[in-house]
Amino acid sequence: MREPSFDHAPDRAMGDLLRQALDGPAPEAFVARVRSAIGHDGRETSWDVLGRWAPAGLVAAGVAAALVWMLLRPAADPRDNGSMLASAPVQMEVTPQQAESDVLTATLLEGR
Amino acid sequence: MEPSLRTPDQTDTELAIAAARGDGDAFGVLVERYGLAARRVARAVLGHGDDADDAAQDGFIAAWRAIGQFDIARPFRPWLMRIVANAALDLVRRRKVRRAVTIPETVESRQISPDRATEDAIFRERFSAALSGLPERQRVAVVLFDAEGYGHAEIAEVLGVPEGTVRSYVFHARRALRRALGVYREEPDA
Repeated sequence: MREPSFDHAPDRAMGDLLRQALDGPAPEAFVARVRSAIGHDGRETSWDVLGRWAPAGLVAAGVAAALVWMLLRPAADPRDNGSMLASAPVQMEVTPQQAESDVLTATLLEGR
Repeated sequence: MEPSLRTPDQTDTELAIAAARGDGDAFGVLVERYGLAARRVARAVLGHGDDADDAAQDGFIAAWRAIGQFDIARPFRPWLMRIVANAALDLVRRRKVRRAVTIPETVESRQISPDRATEDAIFRERFSAALSGLPERQRVAVVLFDAEGYGHAEIAEVLGVPEGTVRSYVFHARRALRRALGVYREEPDA
């Protein structure tokens, strides 16, 4: 019997031997174990991801909204600059985003 | 939908789409469909130990987590089996690192114990020894081709190599296994 060259079809006898050699004990128990592991694995849905980021997102959105409000309001009504400064908290002078605003810088200089 | 209510002819892709929407039972059907094949692939890479079962399970968990990224235009089983094979091959790499650090005091014997010296047991032992002596990728290729019925293209996708390489893997693996069993005599050198 000669050794065949490249075979293009599966060798059933070889396949049977391989399965016998590689099949482990208790196959049903193995499948049940994997299914159980999948069931206990809390795969993240998009809602889980959103839920985890929601608190930080809400805080960021609030800060952004406050900044936008503070930056746009004086531009819309320059006469309110004084009242805005009066009601503006101390952190207005130290927040980098606000310092970058030409409008706010001008307002602060005017206030001095 | 309960797994028992699913029709057996639901395609892998249909089940994968349902799984991607969070249907764990749909993925459970895929586990039942491919669990034992994945276990055989892991055991082909890692041998007969708990590590192989752990690797197969890790592969399924990784697939479950990544099911949303599965491309439904492509076949499911090579995608799954690639994840499982990679989980097993990663474990082999970690084992090799451990072995490089810790030198074992004893060497496992491949000799056949006297109480298993029946002809059938010797046959199986020789086959297992020949199989474990093959390079890992040849083992995966021959198991997927002959035991699981995968095509060369599917195996190429699993292993991330060209089809020609898969044909070579299968050819060399079969030759080594057949020689070990004495089924075929070696071809004389031309």
